[in-house]
Amino acid sequence: MDNNFRNGFLANLPIGVSVFAYGAVLGVLCIQKDIEFYQLALMNIFIFAGSSQFVIVDMWSTSLDIIGVTVAALLVNLRYFLVTASLNTLFLGTTKTQKFKFMHFVTDESWAITMQRLKQEEITPMFLLGGGVCIFSVWFLGTSMGYFLGDFIQSPEKYGLDFAFIAIFLALVISMYKGKENIIPWLITIVSAIAFEQLIDGKIYIVLAAILGALSAVIFSKDKRYE
Amino acid sequence: MNDFTFSALLIIFLVAVGTYSLRISGILLSSKLSKNRNIELFLDYLPSTLLLALVFPSIVKEGVGGVLATLLIVFIMYKTNNVFLSMFLSILFIALFRNYLS
Repeated sequence: MDNNFRNGFLANLPIGVSVFAYGAVLGVLCIQKDIEFYQLALMNIFIFAGSSQFVIVDMWSTSLDIIGVTVAALLVNLRYFLVTASLNTLFLGTTKTQKFKFMHFVTDESWAITMQRLKQEEITPMFLLGGGVCIFSVWFLGTSMGYFLGDFIQSPEKYGLDFAFIAIFLALVISMYKGKENIIPWLITIVSAIAFEQLIDGKIYIVLAAILGALSAVIFSKDKRYE
Repeated sequence: MNDFTFSALLIIFLVAVGTYSLRISGILLSSKLSKNRNIELFLDYLPSTLLLALVFPSIVKEGVGGVLATLLIVFIMYKTNNVFLSMFLSILFIALFRNYLS
């Protein structure tokens, strides 16, 4: 097995525990909404974006609003445009075909861990794929367990498992700190994310705050590497 | 196939196609744009700003426990630079805080 693939897979296992727990919660919700298992499986395989799957399941009712549900789910996933745009360095020198093959497996978790590792050592896109396959496996397993054994994990919050996402993303972002030039863009991002989240419905605040923060980095940049 | 099943499958299909299109268009467009200095800097900052935007509203919602856990993560990362240890200890802290301190 390719070392990069294996390393990517293993590096994602710790957060996989939390992904598993949340997958289980989604599985339980699917039962409550009378969603068939094959429909859950199709979402897992072809959408494979946890937060948007939660939105779909949440909006699932006896009369499905096709446009409303689709738009809401895609707004949640809009950030994937920015996520994959930031992967350019990793994919330098690869063909379009490779990009088409790998992009489906990009998740928040595997992407964040890949970006952190990329700053420390040379890795190939196989690291990202290994991480994506790991997250896909635990997500599929978690949702299936939740669906068929509904009662086994009712309250992951009690054990702080829901905080794992926050904790790992926060730790990863701290590891990306390069110096004082990060402070203003990061503060602008934090303040605008908190404000937009209060003011705007849905998850679009993530995209808006991230864009504003990165734009402020361009505006206030004194970083010599880019001159 | 009844109308409901058709609608459900159509939603899954549309969201799947849309999500994949977002994923693939990001990487395809970035390779065309990244030669520009400003865009390169913008893309370089995106991972960190996206992660910050993802987590901070949730930290605020968590309240005092969330802020304390954040400080704990910053401290552990500063001392050890160990992502797994930061995650493990902050989850433990949140679990204890929710069950015994809040």
